[in-house]
Amino acid sequence: MNFELTEEQQLIGQSARDFAKEYLEPIAVELDHTGNFPKAAVKALAAHDFLGLLLSGTFGGAEAGFVSYAEVVETLSRFAPAVASIVNNHTVAAYAIQQWGTDEQKKQYLPGMAKGEILGATAVYEHGPTPGVGANALVALKQDGGYILNGKKAFVRNAGEAGVYVVFATTDPALGAKALTAFLVKAETAGMKVGAKAETMGLKGCPVADITFENVVIPESALLGAASEGTVIVTKLLSIASVAEAAQTVGIGQAAVQHAAAYAKQRVQFGKPVATLQAIQTLLAEVASDCHLARLGVRNAALLIEEGKPFEVEAAMVKSFLVRLGSKMLIDTCQVEGGFGYSEFMPLPRMFRDIAGTNLLDAPGDFPEKLIAASIA
Amino acid sequence: MAGIFIFSEDSALAKQLLTPALELKASLAQPITAITLSESDAEELAKLGADKVVVLTGGTWAEGFAEAIYSQISKAEGSILLVGGTLRGKHVAAYVAAKLNAGMTTDAKALKIANGKLLATRVLYAGLAVCEEEVALPAVATIRARTFLAPAPAPAAGVVETQSAEADSRITISEVIPTGDKGVDITAATKLVAVGRGFRRKEDLKLAEDLAGVLKAELACTRGIAEDEHWLPIERYIGISGQTVKPELYVAAGLSGQVQHMVGCRESKVIVAINTDERAPIFEAADYGIVGDMYEVLPLLTAALRK
Amino acid sequence: MPKCLVCYKWTLDEQDIKIKPEDLSLDSSRAKGKISDFDRNAVEEAALIVEKEGGAVEVLSYGTAAVKLSLKDVLSRGAEKAHWIADPSAENADAAVTANVLAAAIRKLGPYDLILCGEGSSDLFNQQTAPRLAALLGLPCLSFVQKLTVEGSTVTATRKLEDCQETATVSGPVVISVLSEINKPRIPTLKQVLGAAKKPNEEIKIADLGLKPEDLQPKALRQSVKGFVMQRRNVVYKESSAAENVAKLTASLASEGLC
Repeated sequence: MNFELTEEQQLIGQSARDFAKEYLEPIAVELDHTGNFPKAAVKALAAHDFLGLLLSGTFGGAEAGFVSYAEVVETLSRFAPAVASIVNNHTVAAYAIQQWGTDEQKKQYLPGMAKGEILGATAVYEHGPTPGVGANALVALKQDGGYILNGKKAFVRNAGEAGVYVVFATTDPALGAKALTAFLVKAETAGMKVGAKAETMGLKGCPVADITFENVVIPESALLGAASEGTVIVTKLLSIASVAEAAQTVGIGQAAVQHAAAYAKQRVQFGKPVATLQAIQTLLAEVASDCHLARLGVRNAALLIEEGKPFEVEAAMVKSFLVRLGSKMLIDTCQVEGGFGYSEFMPLPRMFRDIAGTNLLDAPGDFPEKLIAASIA
Repeated sequence: MAGIFIFSEDSALAKQLLTPALELKASLAQPITAITLSESDAEELAKLGADKVVVLTGGTWAEGFAEAIYSQISKAEGSILLVGGTLRGKHVAAYVAAKLNAGMTTDAKALKIANGKLLATRVLYAGLAVCEEEVALPAVATIRARTFLAPAPAPAAGVVETQSAEADSRITISEVIPTGDKGVDITAATKLVAVGRGFRRKEDLKLAEDLAGVLKAELACTRGIAEDEHWLPIERYIGISGQTVKPELYVAAGLSGQVQHMVGCRESKVIVAINTDERAPIFEAADYGIVGDMYEVLPLLTAALRK
Repeated sequence: MPKCLVCYKWTLDEQDIKIKPEDLSLDSSRAKGKISDFDRNAVEEAALIVEKEGGAVEVLSYGTAAVKLSLKDVLSRGAEKAHWIADPSAENADAAVTANVLAAAIRKLGPYDLILCGEGSSDLFNQQTAPRLAALLGLPCLSFVQKLTVEGSTVTATRKLEDCQETATVSGPVVISVLSEINKPRIPTLKQVLGAAKKPNEEIKIADLGLKPEDLQPKALRQSVKGFVMQRRNVVYKESSAAENVAKLTASLASEGLC
């Protein structure tokens, strides 16, 4: 077995690095300050085939595999995690269509998504206890020729910029989640209203908003997968997304520890660089180790996904690891940089806010610990 | 094999080459022949230590005479060729080296004969490392401007000979555009004040100019100031792809001291740094430094030195 | 429709090389390989020319066994076919040996209309390969090129020299060395990266080049390589008063006889 990336995966990583240095590094600070959607960067991502990474060549995708995808996501996240979020949300939606879509649906959306002409998004969460349950749950009632949607989706990422949404709604409020079903809804379908962009703590630039559905009519052909297959689909998607978000977390942590280490070598206190102080060495060592081990965990889960093997437990494990240690990586690196690092002109405060985001999002269908424990006991 | 040859299309550099040539002559007991394309340079070279000067007539485009220069050396079975390390010179030198089936050291900083071979010192890995290169004779070496100073006049002048030569007719030069106002040769300055990104606006360079004025120094800069901001002409840019300088005093104001810049000035006798960031690498590379706001320090320093 | 050959070098990334403090020797154990920076410009230039004029871009490299790691990289950057020579002799090869090997390979693979190189390699920066190849192959050489135009068999180059820009024209085959300013190498798209595996590459055994043993003997030998370390006084004045710092600095400069 080989822990190293293949030559292609390394070259893809190198391209991602060159891309990020060219297109993301110069905009990272402004993106965090304004939160404006980085149109130019997204266009450039499309031109370099990053938006069709997992898609089949039939649809113009690069067919690069999930390990490459994780490598790209980690690399982009070292420079601008918000952009990696945009890519993740889009890629998960495209993946959903590729996995569960009919031939027509694939032909309708995937070529455009591979080229970045159509951006994808998934609308999963609601303000209620669980998707499909509660007063605001999104309900899809069957009617002649299709369905009619009413309700509200919360925290939809890429909202307002996406051309197509993978929307999860219950077809029977009495059954709630048991009748959860996936639909493909085109942006700006009559009755859809994208709410105001949320002001998030971090990952600014990746738009997040609620979407209200008021008597939105969608055709029969909008059904993604089978009726009531929604929970199976969303669980799988969230599990995959969590591996991608783990890659984001690793990327942010890596960037932080590199920055802190460079800082520590230069900052002289008591006559020596602070990098010689044991307390600082301990902090840097722990963060660097956590990053390294988490990366291996991400690659392992990614490889299982690529090989079509069961991966949910491994995905949950790396997720659980990073939920515990992700923010610690930034707490520790900020500690290394001390007062200087606390300034908004330094990158760590932004990374701190970003990593809080990548850790919170998209836990697998059940709490990671529950899933892991169930797999061993 | 006998004969130390020198060549440069640059007058000043050609004279400088005589200094290491004279040292090699002392070691090898072989005469020095200077090849030149310029009649006006010939006499000077003969007076400064060349035993013989061969003037090749037929043109001034140096690269076109690489074959002719090779002929001269191969006929005489020369043992060493020193070429002025301009870009033209490097082209000529490498061509001649290939024809002579000889090894070549590019941009030698020091040269001597050891064990019957040419031992040269040069820089590697973009300035990260220094190495010694041993080249069997016949050997070719290029030497950059101002690595050596021109020698004192020789007791007796050498012989000047003219030969006609043919330029390479396969290449046509159609247009030559001189690069801007040559102005000052900063490599000749004994003191330099170098500016970097710490200066916020072009007008702020006046602070450095004032300091340069009282020090009787020239102004220089990092790559960004010349190539990105165009606040100073490119010939004032010091760094890995710019000028290399060795002044008595180098004052680095508002520049961080990255290795790509420092490789161009690290042989300065005394380096002074002024920077607001205590962690900037320049302090490690400096003899003296002030941590402080350059906008405050420069005027104070200028005033203090004026006294 | 020029048939182009780009000679490139697979080097160690000098940014990864560390200096061992004990003896100043170099530690390149963690250095990753890369295509020499200026050679990337050369590949890019050939790719641009062929995109405009038609023709073909092949690449050639002489290195140790590590050169095999360069193939997918270079083929993702616009080259259609890669020729490579992997031989232990490359470990200590100097510019003379490199030129001998490359010239022999070019005689076997050619003829080519354009033979391109970077102005120098990013590790050793000898800046000798192009003129040496020209001498060995009996071709004209356009060095330090900042702009290149090809029209039919006429090659026009703008060379950037220290004091001027020169326009030079050649008819027929030519060896060219390019500056980094000539272009901005493309960032390979994923499809270009993945497509590289499908492009052909061919090994050339050094024994098949008809070289004599002395052609492979380096004439310039690196004797000692030491990290360059600045030895400076490192006296830093950081009192709270700028005036005080300036006074101290002025005194120091005076003691050095500099003011």
